[in-house]
Formats: sequence, C-alpha cells, structure tokens
Amino acid sequence: MVERADWMPERADWMPGSEWRARAEKLEQEGWLVMDLCGLDARDLGFDHRFEAVVQLLHREKRERWTVHVVAEGDPPTVPSVTDLWPTADFMEREAYDLMGVHFEGHPNLTRIMLPEEWEGHPLRKDYGVGKVAIEFIPQPFMQIDGPGQSTSRGEAGVTVDHLGQVKVEEAGA
Amino acid sequence: MSVASDRIVEGFESTGHGAFVEDFDESAGSMTINMGPVHPATHGVLRLLLTLNGETVTACRPIIGYLHTGIEKECEDQNWRGAVTAVTRMDYLAQFFNEQVYSLAVERLLGIEIPERARYIRTMIAEADRLTSHLVWFGTQALDMGAMSGMFYGFREREMITDFFEMVTGLRMNNGYIIPGGVWEDLPEGWEEAVATILDVMPRRLDEYEDLLDENPIFLERTKGVGAISADDAVALGATGPILRATGVDWDIRRDEPYDAYADMSFEVPTESAGDVYARYRVRMAEMRESLKIVAQSADKMPAGDHRNMDPKLTPPPRSEMNRSMEAVIHHFKLMTQGYIVPAGEVYTKVEGPRGELGCYAVSNGGTSPYRLHIRDSSFVNIQSLPVMVEGGLIADLIASIASIDPVLGGIDR
Repeated sequence: MVERADWMPERADWMPGSEWRARAEKLEQEGWLVMDLCGLDARDLGFDHRFEAVVQLLHREKRERWTVHVVAEGDPPTVPSVTDLWPTADFMEREAYDLMGVHFEGHPNLTRIMLPEEWEGHPLRKDYGVGKVAIEFIPQPFMQIDGPGQSTSRGEAGVTVDHLGQVKVEEAGA
Repeated sequence: MSVASDRIVEGFESTGHGAFVEDFDESAGSMTINMGPVHPATHGVLRLLLTLNGETVTACRPIIGYLHTGIEKECEDQNWRGAVTAVTRMDYLAQFFNEQVYSLAVERLLGIEIPERARYIRTMIAEADRLTSHLVWFGTQALDMGAMSGMFYGFREREMITDFFEMVTGLRMNNGYIIPGGVWEDLPEGWEEAVATILDVMPRRLDEYEDLLDENPIFLERTKGVGAISADDAVALGATGPILRATGVDWDIRRDEPYDAYADMSFEVPTESAGDVYARYRVRMAEMRESLKIVAQSADKMPAGDHRNMDPKLTPPPRSEMNRSMEAVIHHFKLMTQGYIVPAGEVYTKVEGPRGELGCYAVSNGGTSPYRLHIRDSSFVNIQSLPVMVEGGLIADLIASIASIDPVLGGIDR
C-alpha cells in the first residue's frame, strides 16, 4: 500500500478529470508546456481510483517541472482532451488510449496508434493477460493466394484462413 | 471482417493502382498514397499517408506502430536491473541515453548517489554516443540528398567510435552498460588512447564533411528554406533537440537542468534561427564539435574511485569476497534471484538525447520490478512536426525533411 505522502516527485498534484480542462486552459496561458502524457493503471497502488493520465509539465522561463495526475472518471475511464491547447498531446493521448484504455473526450482522432485497429484490450492494463491473449492479425488482401481453381474470398464454404493469413482450401468431398 | 480491411479490399480492387493508392479523386486531381512502411527514405518502418496534388503535398499523416514490441510492458516483468536490457533496445542509435535516463530514474527512487567516476564515465560515453547518432544522421541526410559518399564517411567514423564502445562494454550496440548505481564495468586499460584517437581524428573529419556539403550547390538548393517550421509551431508541437534549437529556442537540458557530470563541463549550445533543414544541419554539425569538447573534458578530469555504488544491497559482491564471507553469498543470492527492492514512489527524469528530450517516468509500488515504466521518446514527439514542415511543399522536399527530423522507429514505436 502506498501512502500519497511517501510519493516522492518534486512537485505532484492529483485532480479529478472534471477539473482538468479548466486548469489546463489556465496553465496553457501561464506558459506551461506538456512534455509527456501517459496512462497509469493504479490497481495495485492502493488509491481509491483505477486509471489516471499522468501529465509532465514544463515551464521554460521558470525552469520548473510539474507532474499532474488526472484521475479518469466513469466507464470507460474518461479524461478531457487537451489537444487543442497543446497539439503535442495528440500522439500521447492516442498512445494512452491504445495501450491503457483511457478515453480522451474531445480528441479529434482517438484511434489506436501502436496496435492494429482490430486489437482487443489494452495491453498495459494490469489485468491484461500476458501470454493468454492470442496474437492474431486480420489477413490483408496481399496475403491471399489466388491460384487457378481456387476461390480465395473469405466467408465462402470450404475456405478458411489460418492465423498466419494462409488460405486453406478444403478438398471437395474430403 | 472489419470495416478497415473491407475498405482496403475495395480500394485495392476498384482502383487497380496497387495497394499503395488509397484514394484517387479525379475531379480535384488529388491522390492519396502510402509512402512506406518499407520505403528506403522513411528511415525504418514509418508510413506516411500523403495527399498529393501533382507533386505538391497537400496533407501528410504519419502512421506508426509497425515496430511496436511492447517494451514498456516487458519491463514490468523484469527486475529493476534487468529492465536496462530492454530499454537500451528502444532508440537503438542512442542506446546509452536510454540506459542513462532509466538509471537516473531508478537512482532517484532509491535515493542513492553514484560515485564521481561513474558520473564522468556516463557523461563521456553518452557524448561519444551522441557523435555516433549524429554521424548516422549525417550519412542518411547526405544520402537522401543524393550525396552517397556522405553515407560512407559517416559510417566510417561511426565504426571508429563503436569500436571504442566495444572496447569498453564488449558490444557495439544495445550495450546495457549504464546501470542503476553507476556503470557495469570500469574503463579498460588503454581507454585514454582510444579517446585520444577519436579526439584527434574527428575534428578533421568534421571539417571534411563541411567541405563536402557547405558549398555544394545541390545540397544547399535542397536544404535552404526547405521544411521550415516556426519557433511557435515547434514549441506547440513539443519538438525538442536540434529541431527546436534550429528555430532559435535556446533550450538544452544538459545546460538548463544538468544531470550526471554536465554541471562541471563547459560547452556552448548552438542555435540557428531559420528553422529549415539547413539550420538543423548547422545545429547538428556544431553539436558534434561541442560533444567532442565534452568528451575531452570528461576524459581529462576523469576522477579515480569506484565505478559503481558499492552498497552490497545494490551491487553483487566481488567473487573473491564470496569465498570468505557468508554475508556476501547471501547478498549475491538475493540480488541474483530476486533483485533489489525500490521504495514506492514515482519519478520523471530527463536527459538531452541526440534527438531532444528523452524522459523516463517510472513508478514503483515497493517491489523488485517496475510497476509502470514509460519512456518519452523524442522521435515519437518530433515526428508530429513533420506535417507542418512538408504540407504545401514538394514531395522531393519531404525526403529532406524526414532525414532532418532523424527519426528512429525503434524509439517511436517502442
């Protein structure tokens, strides 16, 4: 169990997702920059919430750094997006969504960035079964063999595609 | 079958142009094509979705993830010492910086100091690594601009420095040399001569490079005023390193937030104001000379003493001691089977890598392996500047801009 008082960066603050947007607008006007943003699954940390977006802020004139923990609320866990204030947060929020499953409300293009769009689950979550989830990629058209006498369109009877994208045609009458 | 693959199949069959044409709007005369992920000028497996009007790029969207290996997740299954082996493989051209930023994070969580000699060794080897990284950039930038000899020159000098790495660490790449608590091994006998050779050869070679390119009309034509980005845009998009300094923003973590032995070094932070490909070229060439200065200073001032923190709770005891002391055997056994415990907490550390700010956010819950490890890779953030640089320009200038960002896909995708 972790007590927040023992938590030890130079400067860190927790805030609920509902307050983040208003604070972010103020911070942006004061000249703070987002240098990093990532998701955190706090399942085993003893907090009373599960998901956070952890934002690293930098103020170049003051030469200060500041860590802000934005607590995600609701199901799916949601945090307001700040891409319109700091365009650099675009990829970072997509990465946190893809790997940690934190949703960013108001993000213009919240799609997976590292994994294929068809992927199920969010690998950096603590309950993601490492080694238990089969890794399968959806076969792409160029993977298919189009030989004479073979029908390669998927969904037809007798045609299956295995996990490597190889087309298997069952012999007629076999 | 998903919507995404449906769309690809349809596009593939209807246009008949092949899989790389995504969309063709005949009335507007615009075409959306894929550049990469296996295009030689994208420096790895970067895929760019380009909308073209003739030869003009009207929209550019970088698509990444083709090299995603889940290193952050993998580190959660390693102990704190073992994760060094994983992080060094992220940005494979700046391996020592990855190890350094991770080690700084773990040391801060442990609340330990490292010996003076370790700090100097780290500084020296990291600056030599910056040289190797910039030499690869030099080679690829020159190659992409049509000067193939630049590639051979850059790699020739890089080989000399990687030989030095091999001498010190045993490996040319993915060294795993900088570890929490110091460095893995002390510098070997004869390291002074190897450093002296680098310091002797490199300045002359850098002059040669500049002779090769500085007055080359083709190179100047293809870099001056190409791929320009303003300081405001670069700051808003989070660009760091040579891209930011080429727009005139004077920011270098080595000087402004010093770590390891940088506070004892004297060096300049080169900046330019134009923000184009040529300015980034000038900044990187000047940075290489500054790196040589830092290598020379840290070699000159190299203090004597331990090369790593000798706390038996952190560092396995020497072999000789294990034959005599039961205490040492216990420490060795605990460290080898379980690893050391890092107090609960979180930390964000940052170093100035060859491509800009390299950050490490580490969380411990009081266990023997990282609870969460996140690396802020500089290429991952810098690549977001590419659309601003290339939109409205020619497709040939796009090649120059990609090379000048110097992206490393191993770092972007992690």
